[in-house]
Order: sequence, then structure tokens, then C-alpha cells
Amino acid sequence: MPPGLRLICLALVLALPARADTVLKVYVSGQIATPVFRKALDRFEAANPGTHVQIEVGGATSEEQAQYLNTVLSAGDSSLDAFLLDIVRPAQFAAAKWVTPMNSAIGDPKQFMKQYLPEYAKADTVKGEVVALPAFADAMFLYYRKDLLDKYHLQPPKTWDELATQVKTILAGEHDPTLEGVSFQAKAIEGAVCTFLLPYWSMGNSLEQDGHLTFDREAATKALTMWVNLVKQGVAPKNVAEIATDDTRKDFQAGKAIFAVLWAYGWADFQGPDSAVRGKVGVAVLPAMTGGRSVSCLGGWQWGASAYSKHKPEAVKLVKFMSTPDISKLLAVDASLLPVFPSLYHDPEVLKADPWFADALAVVQTARTRPVTPLYNQVSEIIRTTVNAVLAGTQTPEQGAAQMGAQLRRVLH
Amino acid sequence: MDPKPAVLAAVLLAPAFLLLALIVVYPVGRLIWTSLFELNLTSGLPAEFTGISNYVLVVQDPVFWQTLTNTAVITVVTVPGALVAGMVLALIANLPFRRPWPVRLALLVPWAMPLAFTGLISAWFFNSQYGVVNDLLRRIGLPQPIWFNSAVLSMAAICLTIIWKASSFVAMILFAGLQTIPRELYEAADVDGAGRLRQFWSVTVPLLRPAIVVAMIFRTITALQTFDIPFTMTRGGPGNTTRTLAMYIYQNTVSFLDLGYSSTLAVVMFLISMAVSVVYLRQIRATT
Repeated sequence: MPPGLRLICLALVLALPARADTVLKVYVSGQIATPVFRKALDRFEAANPGTHVQIEVGGATSEEQAQYLNTVLSAGDSSLDAFLLDIVRPAQFAAAKWVTPMNSAIGDPKQFMKQYLPEYAKADTVKGEVVALPAFADAMFLYYRKDLLDKYHLQPPKTWDELATQVKTILAGEHDPTLEGVSFQAKAIEGAVCTFLLPYWSMGNSLEQDGHLTFDREAATKALTMWVNLVKQGVAPKNVAEIATDDTRKDFQAGKAIFAVLWAYGWADFQGPDSAVRGKVGVAVLPAMTGGRSVSCLGGWQWGASAYSKHKPEAVKLVKFMSTPDISKLLAVDASLLPVFPSLYHDPEVLKADPWFADALAVVQTARTRPVTPLYNQVSEIIRTTVNAVLAGTQTPEQGAAQMGAQLRRVLH
Repeated sequence: MDPKPAVLAAVLLAPAFLLLALIVVYPVGRLIWTSLFELNLTSGLPAEFTGISNYVLVVQDPVFWQTLTNTAVITVVTVPGALVAGMVLALIANLPFRRPWPVRLALLVPWAMPLAFTGLISAWFFNSQYGVVNDLLRRIGLPQPIWFNSAVLSMAAICLTIIWKASSFVAMILFAGLQTIPRELYEAADVDGAGRLRQFWSVTVPLLRPAIVVAMIFRTITALQTFDIPFTMTRGGPGNTTRTLAMYIYQNTVSFLDLGYSSTLAVVMFLISMAVSVVYLRQIRATT
């Protein structure tokens, strides 16, 4: 053996740990800062000597992240042991048998899931089997310009009609041609699904029950008409079909919108040093349809253990560890991620770090999950293309609702 | 002891044949085979042989017909469009410049841009609020449309982008063709009193015909597979009005994990590409 090679061999032997340690690899999406996860995983390593956890980061959006996981898991690759999943994925991953079922590891599943916000128990349980555990919560909020509403002596609107009236009052008083009323998403992205569901759910309707379609065409027409009317009245921008999630964030942050319908991540940016609206922002439950009730769209991320992991017991243990109140609190305090345990919204340490969480609980509690079905991607595609077409004006709300119903019937029976 | 010519031929051809079998025959065969199954990874069920039922579903699928029509529109608009634009560029590049390389380099730039980049950049160009296109329209006093709110304007924006991108490739092929045309032919035409336009139609075009056909084959096949530019510019919107067949295949594969159905769509696209290629190849044979 040449001396160079001998040195390399020696280095390799020395690099190996003394015991046969377990190395787990977890996959997290790129939109969340990793240091806070590293901190949480360090705690897991400390509590489980001999287990090491590596982080793999990828996918800036939920879709990119899912595409990566789809490729890895449909190939049966064992390189990932656990992963973060967007709220809409567990049902799909469970049907494809890509996640390790967890009932045997958590005792009575119903009892165990009671500790979380109830909608997460629903999204993470498929046919009585718990397939993932909540990591952190998210929901759509109504952000509003506190300074402008105060100036005109207005309270956050309870209904969309009230919002329209308030916008007209403020626009008439401000004479600012660059100021818009409300920014929401109608580009054909995942956010557009929530755009449709918010007013649809608000009227007490649901889309699916136990895998069966419960689509109400009349309510769907009304929901789409509500948004179209906001555009027609000049309350929402005419180019709303171009607007994706982060465009709403940018517009509101630049002081260009009075109201914004957006996920929780906006708050930190709005209060940031380069925000034009720092200290001028309030957050409220979303307006309801007149005569309906306020509903939000639930987001948030779940931990799942890979079915192809070579260390399944350790992976399940890790998932359980990452879904405890301690870790949820760490994520809230260090990274302003909304807790999945209702009690943490009153926790003094959490409220010290994120005072606005006091208002957030009410919104999170009104939030509903999008349809829990393995065919969610098809459902999402149908809804988002329709929302996009109707708000671009290439279809009327009636045509859109009819087409949506017909297409959904082909997917969910 | 020499081997028989037939044996020798077989031995010599075997590596090439094996390579082709590996990279062409096997994947295509596998694709066709998968298209005969109902295989959706989200169903959790094993693949089930269903014969041609996927093909029946394709024919009944309105979105398939819409994406096919969109693909056809893109092909019919951008192939001649890129040809005309490419011809103009090639003729300019063929002018006797003192320093030819900056012109030739400029010719290469759109071709060197990645497709997805091009799409993302044009999405900003045509953005109704921040786009440079609407800014220009405003400066010259024309109305500024919301491009991506309209099916026709979205399609127009996509086609313009594709023509810009593809014209550079077409121009390079035509430019190479132009350089093979002897100067004497133009001198002779001059002597005969033919004007510039007459020279173009009677000398340039006929002699450039093989290059034109080659450029059109490549352009048509890439147009039939259009994916990146509409995907990054409009995601197929508004509604499904700019979704192409390739995007629909991608969606069924990557997003819906419906491998059976997406294989069927891919077979259909393969057959269309084959048919077009055969027509063109006949055309080439007729010209040479």
C-alpha cells in the first residue's frame, strides 16, 4: 500500500465514531431558518446519546419541497429518515405508504392528538392512523393598517362588505393613487385555493366529507362573485390574477395596501427595519361573508417518519420529540413560529417574544384544513386554475363554479 | 480464416445497436408498457393492467384537448415567426462588417440564455405594474393592458418570448447556410439587372432551402415540447389557456403522481412528434 493511501485509510478509521452510532437525516424546507431546528435537534441528540441528526435543506416553496420528496420516496430511497410536510401532504403520503404509521408509538391515538389544536389532529390522522405529528402552526390572517383605520375611526371589518366600504372611505380620504384596498392571491398557486375556500367555508359549506365530494355550486358562485366584485369596485387591484403570496407581502410592507390576506410569516417582515409600515400594522380574524362566520385557512408543517428509513424506531422517536410543547415553545420564541399547542398562546415567555400571538390564537382557532385526501394535488389544481381564470376575467363566477364542480366530481366522487 | 461479411457486419453493428436499445428502445418501450396500466402512486394500490382505457380517458379529457390546442397554436405561431426573425438576423450578420465577431456574438446571446431564465425575465417584462413593456406603451401613449389577465395577450406574450429566444438558433443555422452561397451568383444576378429583392427570392431562398428545412424541423419539435417558458411566465394561466401538453404531462407525473395516465399522454406526444418528423424528412428527401 502506498504511504498516501495508508494515511487516508488511517484518517478514515479515526473519523469513524467509537461506537456504531445511529445517524438520522431530516429534510426541512428552505423557507424556515435552520438554526432553530439545529437547536431543537441538538436537544434531541443530548437526550439520546449515540444518535446524531443531520439536516438537509431544500425547496423554497411547499411545491418544490414536495417535488423533491416525491422523487426520493417514489424511488424507495432510504437516505431520509424524517421530513417536514406541509399540512396538505400527510393524507397523500399515507396513501402512497411513504410515512411510518405511529399509532403503536403513541398509545391511544385520539387521546394523544387531543393535546394539539383540533384541526391538526384531523389533518394528521388518516383512517384512524396517526401518520404525522404537528411541528408548528400557520393560518391566514387579515393584516390591516392600524394607523389608517384609526385615522378614520374604523374597527377591523367583520364582513367583506364592511371591508369594501372601509376601503372606499379611506381611499376617498387619502387621495393616494398608489394605495390599494386589499391584496390577496389569485395567481394559480396554492394560496389561491385558500382564496376560494375562505368565503366558501364562511357560508358554512364544506368541500369534502370522508373522501366524498360535498361541493355546493351556488355557494361557490357566491364566493367567487364576492372576490370579483371587490375587483370591480376598485377595492382589490385589477391585476390580482398576477399576485402570488410574496407579492402580497411586498405590497403591504411597502405601504401600498390597506388590508392584506396573508400567512403568519408576514408579521416579522412588516415589523422589520426596512418596512414602511413598521408599528402601523394590526392583525385580525378574516372577514366573513354577510350572514356567515369568520373562517381562516389552516397552514403549518408536520413531522413525518419515512417508511423507507433504516432506523424507523429512532425516526419515530425523533418525530415525537420534535412535536412536544418544549420544542413548540422553542420554535415560537426563537423563530416566531406559531405553536401547535393552544396553551402556549398564553405562555408568558412566548408572549414576551411575540406579543401579537395573543391575537393570533383567535385566528388559528377559526382555521380549517383544506380537504384531507390523497388526491389533494388534483383538487388544488382545479380550484387554483378556476380562481385564476375567474379573477383574470376569462370566466364568469357562474362558469367557474360549474367547471370546478364538474372537474372535482371526476376526482372525488 | 476471415469471418463471413454478414457476421462481421453484425459484430460491428452490435455496440451501436445495444447503445440505441438502451437509451431509446427500452425507455420508449417501458413508456408504452406503463401507459397500459392504471398506476397512481397516491392510490397506494399496485399497478393494474387496464389495456387501452387510459387512451380512452385521454380522448375524453377536455384539458388534454385544450393543452393540445395551445401547443398547436404555439407551434403554428412561433415556427414561422422564429424563421422570419431568424432570417432577418442572419441576413444582417451576413453583411460585410469590418469586425464580424461582435455581430455574431450578439446573435448567440438569446440562444445561450437558459429557457427558465428567459421565461422569468419576460414575466417581469410583461408584468402589468412593474414591467418594461407597459412602461414603453405608457411613454408612447398607448393603453397598457394587464397581459396575464387575458388568454389572448398571455399567449401573445409567450409566443413573442419564444420567437425572441428561438430566432437566434434559427439565425445561426441560416447564417451558416448563407456563408456557403458563392458571391459570384449575386454578381451574376447584378449583371443580369436583378434587384436586391429579386436576388433574395431567386438566389438566396432556393439555395438556403436545406438549411431552412433543418431549422424548421428542430424548431417544430422543440415547439411541440414547449414547457419552460409558459411554465415560468404564466403557469398555464389564466385558467388553462396557456398550458401546453408538456406541462400537462409534467403535472400528471410530478404533481399528481399518476404515472399510468402521464405515460399515456407522453406516448401521444411522442406519436405527434414522430408524425411531424416523418413529414419533414420526406420534405428533405424531396429537396435533395
